[in-house]
Amino acid sequence: MSKPLGIFDSFNNLDKIKPEDIASWLTPAPPPLYLENYLANKLLYPQSVPVSELDLKIELAILREALKINSAQSFNKSNPFLSESPFINFNLKKILIPGHFLDFVPDLQILVWVFIDGLLLERKREKDFEDIWTVIITGDLDDVVGTIILPRLKSAAGEIQLDLLGKTYTLKLGSLTVVPCLKKKCQLLFKSNESLLLGKNDLLIEVYGGKLGIVVDGRV
Amino acid sequence: MKLTVNKRLRLEKDVIARVPRLLRGEGKIFVSVGTEVSPGDIIGTATQFTGFRIINLSSLLSVRPSEVIKYIKREVGQKIYKGELLAFKKGQFFSPDKIITAPTDGVVDFVNSLSGEVRISLLPKTINLAAGVYGVVEKVDSKSNLCLIRAQVTRIYGMFGIGKTREGTLAILTKRDGVITKDMISPQYDEYILAGGSLFSKEVLHSAISAGINGIIVGGINADDYKVMMGGSLTLQHKLDEDIGLSLVVCEGFGVIAVGDDIGNILKEYNERFVLVDGNNASISLPSFSSSSMIKVRSSGLPPVGENLTPDGQQEEAQLVEGVRVRIIGSSFTGEQGKIIATDKTESLMPSQIRSTMVTVETNRRKIQTSFKNVEIIQ
Repeated sequence: MSKPLGIFDSFNNLDKIKPEDIASWLTPAPPPLYLENYLANKLLYPQSVPVSELDLKIELAILREALKINSAQSFNKSNPFLSESPFINFNLKKILIPGHFLDFVPDLQILVWVFIDGLLLERKREKDFEDIWTVIITGDLDDVVGTIILPRLKSAAGEIQLDLLGKTYTLKLGSLTVVPCLKKKCQLLFKSNESLLLGKNDLLIEVYGGKLGIVVDGRV
Repeated sequence: MKLTVNKRLRLEKDVIARVPRLLRGEGKIFVSVGTEVSPGDIIGTATQFTGFRIINLSSLLSVRPSEVIKYIKREVGQKIYKGELLAFKKGQFFSPDKIITAPTDGVVDFVNSLSGEVRISLLPKTINLAAGVYGVVEKVDSKSNLCLIRAQVTRIYGMFGIGKTREGTLAILTKRDGVITKDMISPQYDEYILAGGSLFSKEVLHSAISAGINGIIVGGINADDYKVMMGGSLTLQHKLDEDIGLSLVVCEGFGVIAVGDDIGNILKEYNERFVLVDGNNASISLPSFSSSSMIKVRSSGLPPVGENLTPDGQQEEAQLVEGVRVRIIGSSFTGEQGKIIATDKTESLMPSQIRSTMVTVETNRRKIQTSFKNVEIIQ
């Protein structure tokens, strides 16, 4: 019989997470003592699942911090295109989400949001080629589910216009938006005066779509 | 649908095991391999020369550290014997007199007016090591003064702990869901193993070490207190030689969690009996106090000394079926135990928006419905 796996079985350094860092993702934040005990019990019982809404929020905050401390850029020495992190491949610009995570956080959009917060949010947006990341659900068969777009912002306010599958979406800077695109490959037209994508403010590109679609993270 | 969950070994009743008896100090073990012993038999004698005890009089007398000197009844440098008056504070209107006696023979050699502690250097004393158990001597190591006795024990496996193996008389201090406080720790429990309570804190740890307590068995501990004991990390598996001055076994987890029914009921049977606590392995050995256990001890053998006798990995997987005893491990109702009385046929949506097969657990007090992933089978 296979052992029931939890999200936190994938991490062996949860004890390095600080309660105040977990609290930073929660409003209102429970007392640090409560969060520290919650985290410590996750080390003992990683397979347990959150029952209440608050439990889920705490676990997602722990997951964000767990991803953050495991996101240090590391390359496989024998093959630079392989990453040593199971969650991110810096060279190929892929976000890798283990399939069993969806058993615990069934909402893919929320899960991807957590991965962006944990892995990409604090990265400096300096290089053009780090603007687009492919999202893959890993398992027996890898499944490409969509794309994350991280435009480089020139100002805190403004808009992005996306033309996709014959529809026009106007997105405000400062927000994270998911635009549906179930097709395998999606052609989109990006236009913005206050942000750049791949160094351009007017660009037609083709990106991966899927059950997630296209996530545009315009947060400052 | 088959539901697979963890199965945890928490209790092994009446198993044959080796009980280590260590003679501390310079001395000799008298018994030889094959000797049958009973709990009161002296199996070795030693003389202990070094060591000291620190007693926090400020806390025991409820006075400021700088005032402790006023209440001490012995001069620095004077001898004092176990049970003699060390400090006295006359009671006020609603508080009784406070009488503090020496927990051990020694010399009062230092009073710290900043911390309110008094240090007693131990006098050389003769230690008679009792067998503590009904059993048969299996091995005597004269170099380390260690004697292994084959005996019938009941073993408890906690979740985690710290400290080398220590022994003592078990005293249950509180109800399973009570809290062990500093006031409960007194020198009368010198060399005792204290049990009970749903929470143990580092403040109580300091008092317990001062009072000469050998071990603590508790349901829960706050993670930040455990970190302090572990030198700043939450490491649950650690080196076998780590020690903090006593042995601590935490039976349930982090936070305020009552000792489970299974462990609590067994500990009650052993109140005021000889027990051994191994914090680093999170195990408690309760030697049989019945002479009839010798029948089983005589007829049972054990693998050669040196082979691991602790079950490898106290967790395995098993199928969850109605009727099995489980323990709840989720963030709600943590540590409660009961029987599975129903398993849903379909998945339900929990308030966390996660779908899971729900099970109903009947405890002594109530019925609890939770995800099957939040229970583990116990044995």
